[in-house]
Amino acid sequence: MLRWLLGRLARAAGAAWLTASLVFIGSRLLPGGPDQLALADASDLSRPVAGTRPAATQQAARLAVRNRLGLAQPIFYVTRTAGQWQWHGTANQYHRWAKAALHGDLGYSYRDGQPVATLLVHALRYTLPLAASAAGLAVGLALALGLYLARATGSVWQRLVANLLNCLQITPLFLLALGLLLLFANPEFLNLLPAAGQAPGAASHGQLAAYWLGRLALPLLSLVLAVLPELTLPLAAGLRQEATSGYATTARAKGLTTRQMLRHHALPNAVIPLLTTLTDLLPTLVAGTVIVEVLFALPGSGRLLAEAAAAHDYPLVVGGVLVTATARLLGLLLADVLYFLVDPRLRPTA
Amino acid sequence: MKYFWLGSLFALLASACSTPPVKQASSPIYTRWARDPETLDPLAVPNQSAIDAANLLHMALLLVDYQANAYAPALAQALPQVRTIGDSLTALGYELRAAATWDDGQPVLATDVDFTLKLLQCPGLPNENSRAQFGFIRQVLIDPANPRRFTLVCRGQGTEIMTGSGDFSILPEAALDPAHTLRRWPLAVLQDWPAARAPAPAVAALVQRYQRANLARQPGNMPGCGPYRLAAWETNQQLRFQRKAHWWADKLRPAPFVLQARPQELVFAVLPDDAAAALALRRHDLDVYPQVPARIFQQLQASPKAREELVFYTKSSYDILTAGFNTRRPALHDRRTRQALSQLFDPAGLLAATQLGQGNRTVGLLPPSSPFYNDSLPLPALAPILAARLLRQAGWQRRADGHWWQPGEAAPLALTVRYRAEEATFATTALQFQAAAARVGIAVALLPTENSVLTNALQTGDFDLYIRLVKGSPFGFNFATFLHSNAIGSGNITGFSNPVADRLLLAIPAEGNLPRKRLLLRRLQVVLREEMPLLPLFFLPYRLAASRQLRHVVASGIKPGYAITALSWPAADAQLAGTH
Amino acid sequence: MRARPTPLRPRLATWLALGWLALLVSAGLLAPWLPLPYAPATPDLLHITTPPAWGAGGPPHYLGTDPLGRDVLAGLLAGAQRLVLLTLPAVALATLAGALTGAAAGFWGNRHLRLPAAAATWVLAAAWWALSFPFQEVLFLLVGVSFLLTLVTWRTARRATHSRRYTFALPLDSLVLGATTLLGSVPRLVLLVALAAGPPPSPRQLIGLLALLAWPEAARLVRGQMRWVRAQPFIEAARASGLPPGTIWWHHALPHACRPLLAFAPLSLAGLVGLESSLAFLGIGQGPDVVSWGSQLATMRQDSTAWWVAVFPGLALLFTLLALQKMAAVASKRVDR
Repeated sequence: MLRWLLGRLARAAGAAWLTASLVFIGSRLLPGGPDQLALADASDLSRPVAGTRPAATQQAARLAVRNRLGLAQPIFYVTRTAGQWQWHGTANQYHRWAKAALHGDLGYSYRDGQPVATLLVHALRYTLPLAASAAGLAVGLALALGLYLARATGSVWQRLVANLLNCLQITPLFLLALGLLLLFANPEFLNLLPAAGQAPGAASHGQLAAYWLGRLALPLLSLVLAVLPELTLPLAAGLRQEATSGYATTARAKGLTTRQMLRHHALPNAVIPLLTTLTDLLPTLVAGTVIVEVLFALPGSGRLLAEAAAAHDYPLVVGGVLVTATARLLGLLLADVLYFLVDPRLRPTA
Repeated sequence: MKYFWLGSLFALLASACSTPPVKQASSPIYTRWARDPETLDPLAVPNQSAIDAANLLHMALLLVDYQANAYAPALAQALPQVRTIGDSLTALGYELRAAATWDDGQPVLATDVDFTLKLLQCPGLPNENSRAQFGFIRQVLIDPANPRRFTLVCRGQGTEIMTGSGDFSILPEAALDPAHTLRRWPLAVLQDWPAARAPAPAVAALVQRYQRANLARQPGNMPGCGPYRLAAWETNQQLRFQRKAHWWADKLRPAPFVLQARPQELVFAVLPDDAAAALALRRHDLDVYPQVPARIFQQLQASPKAREELVFYTKSSYDILTAGFNTRRPALHDRRTRQALSQLFDPAGLLAATQLGQGNRTVGLLPPSSPFYNDSLPLPALAPILAARLLRQAGWQRRADGHWWQPGEAAPLALTVRYRAEEATFATTALQFQAAAARVGIAVALLPTENSVLTNALQTGDFDLYIRLVKGSPFGFNFATFLHSNAIGSGNITGFSNPVADRLLLAIPAEGNLPRKRLLLRRLQVVLREEMPLLPLFFLPYRLAASRQLRHVVASGIKPGYAITALSWPAADAQLAGTH
Repeated sequence: MRARPTPLRPRLATWLALGWLALLVSAGLLAPWLPLPYAPATPDLLHITTPPAWGAGGPPHYLGTDPLGRDVLAGLLAGAQRLVLLTLPAVALATLAGALTGAAAGFWGNRHLRLPAAAATWVLAAAWWALSFPFQEVLFLLVGVSFLLTLVTWRTARRATHSRRYTFALPLDSLVLGATTLLGSVPRLVLLVALAAGPPPSPRQLIGLLALLAWPEAARLVRGQMRWVRAQPFIEAARASGLPPGTIWWHHALPHACRPLLAFAPLSLAGLVGLESSLAFLGIGQGPDVVSWGSQLATMRQDSTAWWVAVFPGLALLFTLLALQKMAAVASKRVDR
């Protein structure tokens, strides 16, 4: 088991590296780039670029930006120009980045020159607690609601809950978040929670903690409500399907209540899709909460990466992809371990 | 434990019925920024938030006076004396204020200005933008008798030379370059340094020293001469500026408008979503909301409670919504085709629909309030019949399938319109044009493009029409940056090239005589109307919503639309009145 | 649990679901020919963000207009067309592709699928030629080696999946997992910025693109379920009875492994519509002249008091989702019987 684990971890590290490398090369092949965005708009009359040769001036400025950011070197060890392959040796951007990354230096952001690792850590400080607690809460609620819905007593409440879950399923995340914002942070309706704005200045730890709890309540609620249907509905369907099998009838015949039968016998068999979906959620811990962060003005990593992608801030994007890929691969690993824990017959493959 | 929860619930509900808190003299003023400034390096000011921050932390020779909508002297004692040399150079004579000092007590001298301009030329620093913008300043001649007096020799002639020469933050030479290593090179030598040649070792050493200072995140590492210092910066969330206790301009009597800094503490909240920012304004988490979008402005004004607590301002700005044509495309080569297409836009309807009727329609690139506006030209309007007639005049023939064909061409008239995605105004304009064109028989494809892709596509000419904002200014009429033929490849994305227009474009900025200038501008507007490389639709308004408790709110049509340093709370005014 | 008595005829809910789906498909296919007062993507500049109105001068906007001035009813029908012609095929394609690849990856894992060694060298030669690497002599060498290997293994080629001679194990599980990881770990935004850099995709390309984005989830679900099915006794029995692995996979394992897809497919549809609205929220995607339910939901952001812009497409989407779920439940009941 340990050997398998080590093998998978090594493969995961390799795959994350490969993904980051592909994004590295791909982002530099895109048209446009930080040099184009860094220069002011020539149709901005409040900042006129005076001169007799504006095209040459702008070309020189763009070249200067590329030199400063290190984008003037060839991208990879080999490049293909006009059908011919050319070897460049180690004087290329990829080699520089790889060497630095292997020493733990993910580079510096193009926009403010700060180390990428610092920026990511600062942003993850907001995103990780939010997303981790959302995932935990969602799984707990999904298990509870799935068991409730699978009992199939046909009561009005059950139908109501099922329909509510369907409504939540089709509501996009931003509509949910916007709705919650307008309901609970609106002076016109209920002004319960701080949606954005100042933390109490020099306040005690307790006050600060209360402020952040209030501030994170609405984003947490929107994330949980957005994710809940896709965890609950397949679980309920799977449980209902398991409940018609032979061993379930035996269990009921033995004298167990429906609830006990579902929880102890049907659940381990029906939980595999839930585990798959759950471990799919892990990468969203890093990059998927962008909509919630934009609406609730949280300086999280989703927003950071989205803005970096829009501004062509390559080091930050590649660093973010590395972290996201690692998270996803760890999620896959976790899924296989959980499969094994739930059903020992599912020995993990090499 | 349960009392804790009950208590918090009660506290939450109590906070639900909140009234605006009474502001003390030292209460911070909360303003909304749509994006993070990204870097506070005074050499690189990438967006409007960074410009606002630079104006708080540093000083420039000239700053915008939002009350008079003109440039006013800040570090300079007075507006520069303008003297033309020959027919291509201008000499601007500046004198710095005697009271101006850095934080460490050293006076601000002409050598600091010289050093700053040379620093703009050092490769390896994020100064490419500023280098291009201030490259027209070729020499700094310091008066040997008066260390505060100097002359800037600039390439080019015209009023923009004067206004554009003073808009950069001055940096201290003593702190960044105590050994005065840059003094041995004249400015022109550094400007003409070939890019392939390695920079001089002293320059490289200076660049390294500058980078180590990390001014992008910690501008306090260098003494500044602005009224505020950065107290805290949480990236993407909030910036806090504290007023310096002793600022050199406090002693000046009378205090010029641009050298007033009343607020004790300024907090800028980075709120990217407009609706969330409006909610923050309603909850009294914000005091100033600049550049409010039209819908939200309407919603705020419709609520009686909001009308009690907030004051609303609308000012006409200098941003023009423009539709441009790619004159290099064979279909759009003939100016009659372009004129015909311009008749398919409906500026009146779009103004009413997207801007609530606020803003000004225009015939050219000048606002109707300008004395140079050509009022003898008719306003562009929706006229599909006229458009069809113009197309026929240009040689297009409408065939049975309803489309327009040029004889000998394989494809009918079909256009693609590019514009920046995520902007409702552009989307509505594009949709209206598409609907009007479809009624006339022209197929239009809409391509909302992401910003960086759009810039690239416009530069390479991969479009037929575009819709964007031309950001104008009241200070000058240098349209050559995007209409002159030698700007093709940089700012001239329409590919427009017309010798008459070229002559006018070069003559207008250099013309000092007002009646002659008026004549030239009127003629330019006529030429542009006939050739129609771009169609200005209307001027957009700037809307501002501010708390009713704020005093001295100055709204303006120049970016960012308000004068932050003039604001104050009534308690602060009373305090000030009490001390005098 | 007592099994419910099977009804002699389908219940009202099933009829309603079928009826809604029929309405949707017919509306989607006939949308261009329906007589509507307003065209879907035409802004009515005089009536921006107006609530639903019946009567009044001029043809009324029965369901109101959105912040861009487009008629909501016309947009609903155009969205239905887009759903029927674009999103549903994409979901079907994604589910199919995901089911096949996930089931294969789960069944054969990394070690059990053996391919003839010649296949590897042929593929390598083809790649060398297609990418026009230098040293064309290597190409000839590879082709020669491939011919040789094919000749040698011709006798055993038919039974290559069993034999171990001149075969290699295709690491199918790693490949599929790697592909899903690649698609999942590149942030959607980076992927879409890259795609936005090119020309706008044609409808067929768009179906492929949407299927590409929705495929990994289906593949992983089926892979997980297949791992469980593979350990079941009936698979062992089938193997012991001498059936070839391909037949076991297709006839016996695959139907059981696809069980979670019945609940997943409607959710995947909702997911794709949600993706469209998220793209519209983030400013990437189709122009405003292409109306879909997802983009209609997204315009709510520009004016949050315009409830009619989100409620009507939302209800349509809800009914579609419920109908698909009902159909999936009926189908699974029939399968179980």
